[in-house]
Amino acid sequence: MQNEVELTPDAAVRAVMRDILGLSEEQVAEFTAETELFGALPELDSMAVAGLLTELEDRLDIMIDDDEVDGELFETFGNLVAFAEMKVTG
Amino acid sequence: MTLAPAFVFYEFADRKEFCLHVTAQSPRRVMLVPPLFDEMNRMRKMMVDVMRSLHELEISSFLPDLPGTNESVIALEQVTLSDWQKAVQACAEQHQISYIASFRGGALTVADLPSANHWIFSPVKGATLMRTMLRTKIAADRESGLTTSLAELAARAENGPLELAGNIIGSELFAQLNAAEMTDMPSRRIVRLESDSKPSDGQIAGSALWLRAAPDDDLTMSTAIAQDIAGWMGQ
Repeated sequence: MQNEVELTPDAAVRAVMRDILGLSEEQVAEFTAETELFGALPELDSMAVAGLLTELEDRLDIMIDDDEVDGELFETFGNLVAFAEMKVTG
Repeated sequence: MTLAPAFVFYEFADRKEFCLHVTAQSPRRVMLVPPLFDEMNRMRKMMVDVMRSLHELEISSFLPDLPGTNESVIALEQVTLSDWQKAVQACAEQHQISYIASFRGGALTVADLPSANHWIFSPVKGATLMRTMLRTKIAADRESGLTTSLAELAARAENGPLELAGNIIGSELFAQLNAAEMTDMPSRRIVRLESDSKPSDGQIAGSALWLRAAPDDDLTMSTAIAQDIAGWMGQ
């Protein structure tokens, strides 16, 4: 068995976005804090967002309350990373 | 020999369920157990691509439909996780398969085959799958002006079937899935994506097609999966 490796919130959000949108590593590496998500990316429908939240919980070992989730969270890539960082550090 | 995918059957609870089958001229045979719910639809093409690659490696493969899915005559609403476990066992026995490769939530349906050899791709807890589906339901409700919570939906599921992301899930299936985790097997190889940091026995390059907004394929990944399965099965 290979051991578990710590994943940074930024890397986890990037990896999940890449999986959902079917992007290459290079494309997702170009995401900046200002990159717009919800509204700009039609693939991010309610089912994709549900999958994204559950994947982040799983990959970062965090729990996300649905009360914490609002439209602002998915406005930009930076908002989502900041939220993930806040959850990881508690 | 040319590739000839065909439907065969397996019998479970006095019904015949479909099972996609690719025959290779070799005694080596493996059953692929699909992911559950939407993940199954998103990965169906990839599963069949794996079967095509396995054929090139001279391995016969079987991909059963779980009762209540695809063209099954029974409604999903009436199916339990125990049914799925018994159905997978029945398929393995009827087609004399001792190598089982299960994908994602499919790993929750192989518990009744403890003495088989198991290859498991990116296993997921039942509660994780249910949480995503409950979230989708909450988001859809919100769009129609309703406020629902996880706790409320869980309570509703105890008293009757619940429609989640287009699937009608009975109380027993809901409860069983919420508690379901991959069982320990004496012969087991767990394979994950390279981007997945959890412990594994092997890693494969590719991306999580089960998260994709629309069904997609990845031939490099399905070929790598088939090669890993072939290496695990040996000659």
